[in-house]
Amino acid sequence: MQSKQSILIVDDEFGLAEMLREMLRDLGFEVTLAINGRLALEILEEGTVDLVLTDMMMPVMDGAELAAAMRSDRKHRGTPIIMMTSLPTANPQPDGLFDAVLRKPFTPDLLLKTMLGCLASGHAGATERRPN
Amino acid sequence: MSELGPSSERRPTGITGLDRILEGGFLVSGVYIVQGPPGAGKTILANQTCFYHAAGGGHAVYVTLLAESHSRMFAHLRRMAFFDESAIPDHVYYLGGYSALEAGGLEALVTLIRGAIQKHRATLLVVDGLISAQESSPSDREFKKFLHEIQTVAELTGCTVLLLTNAERASGFFPEHTMVDGVLHLTDEVSELRPLRHIRVLKLRGSAPIRGLHSLRITDQGLEVWPRLETRVSPHVVDEETVGSGPKLPFGVSELDEMLRGGVRPASVTMLLGSSGSGKTLLGMQFLSEGVRRGERVVYFGFYERPDAIIAKCQRVGIGGLKEGVERGLAQIIWHRPVEGVIDELGESLIVTLRRDRPQRLFLDGMEGFERAADFPERLSHVYGALAQEIEQLGITAIYSTETRELFAQTIEVPIHGLSAATQNIILLRHVEHRAAMLRVLAILKVRDEDYDAGMREIRITDSGIRLLHTFAGESGVASGGGISSAARPPQREA
Repeated sequence: MQSKQSILIVDDEFGLAEMLREMLRDLGFEVTLAINGRLALEILEEGTVDLVLTDMMMPVMDGAELAAAMRSDRKHRGTPIIMMTSLPTANPQPDGLFDAVLRKPFTPDLLLKTMLGCLASGHAGATERRPN
Repeated sequence: MSELGPSSERRPTGITGLDRILEGGFLVSGVYIVQGPPGAGKTILANQTCFYHAAGGGHAVYVTLLAESHSRMFAHLRRMAFFDESAIPDHVYYLGGYSALEAGGLEALVTLIRGAIQKHRATLLVVDGLISAQESSPSDREFKKFLHEIQTVAELTGCTVLLLTNAERASGFFPEHTMVDGVLHLTDEVSELRPLRHIRVLKLRGSAPIRGLHSLRITDQGLEVWPRLETRVSPHVVDEETVGSGPKLPFGVSELDEMLRGGVRPASVTMLLGSSGSGKTLLGMQFLSEGVRRGERVVYFGFYERPDAIIAKCQRVGIGGLKEGVERGLAQIIWHRPVEGVIDELGESLIVTLRRDRPQRLFLDGMEGFERAADFPERLSHVYGALAQEIEQLGITAIYSTETRELFAQTIEVPIHGLSAATQNIILLRHVEHRAAMLRVLAILKVRDEDYDAGMREIRITDSGIRLLHTFAGESGVASGGGISSAARPPQREA
């Protein structure tokens, strides 16, 4: 039952993150926001996050840096990360840091389908999975 | 300790016309405001500058504040030639700044900007939506302090800063203008259903920009700017004595060349004034055809007939050699659609061609094309004067056609103000009703400081070229359409 699952949205673009938060809350998720990767890491340290939805370009720490930090941390290594990007052709998956890529703009159905898929399988490249 | 400030080194925008207006671009470490209403082209200008900067190896950071979303912005930019996705994020980096602004005010925004410049080694920064920062500022003083901090960051890092903002302000007071190195103002208006875009430099420290309004257009190439045509020509008074004193340039129509005592003087400007269908274009093309026959370089610049159509039309009436002239590189046929054009773009196209190719003969077919492309009609006389000056300086002998509004009238009026002043010679062509027939007639109205035959001739366009006939010998009032015979004898048909 995904209604108790916790999602961390990391995005510096005002409006989009707030809209996603409301939409996911309506679907029964717990949602937290961060406006850059460093704030996201602080939130990750404070509690349990089941999935991270992150933008690529952000101030202070970007999406790739956030993912790299998570993958090097045993505690967060298995947390699935979905990259959200406005660029249609860029390949934002250096070294398999991300579990999925969503091209903005995306539909709520595609977001939910992608999230549920990642939540079900966890991080594909993880050597250590978080306990269910 | 030396005082910090923008160096004289320039950072070009890559927009040729704009760089010309700015004397090479923005100053390194300079802070500039780019203002204008929504849709005026501010975001395109800034992005185009970023990608040009990136293409040269530079790094740019683009910070948005309550502007359109990045995905929406990319969707608009993607169709433009300058947009290079591969430059993102390594050379052009996009950030949202409004969340930081809302959470921590201007101070947080400055921190974000400073951090982004350092992290991405940015030498160009864009803040899109400065109005949001201004509105969130508790006072003008705080906002000026914010700008001062941005200036300091720019000076310390060598970063050029573009601040994009909406120009509309209820107070009419722009405290930020006093703080920056330059202010560019973009406008977007509609005049008689035509979109008119302009750019104007309101302020530019350390430079002598080309002042006034300049035409601007948004195309798939991005922003295109044309400095006012009048500013493209170096100040120089046309001296009638300098108009060529060499051999005259004939039309290749023996009767007309006789009337002109051999042709038109080199480097002179001749107006073909006439009603629609009176033969102006064919006579102008005949002038070029004769040039090609003599091995001269010639240029046709027109608005209404496509190159292949006009060459075919000439061939049908025995005005030959143009197709071969094009193939041999002697003749150029340049055609511009008159609709939605920008007068400065047309003028630029013409001037670039003339400066590059230095033709001996030029035919400008339909000066109304320039008139229709004019943003402000009062500019026309200045534009014509500038074009005439350029043509004269280049030593080109020019013919241009312009259309009278009336097919038949008692008076003859040059339809475009300011045209005749920049013209040495005027040849009138028109239709007249004569003995139950419509005839084309030609008369020389003016040849400056030279003798000429002022007689009226019938102009006949035959399969073997243009001929002039003495149809109206002994008659008066023909030009205004009321030919009256003074003799009962049948007219002499040929010159």
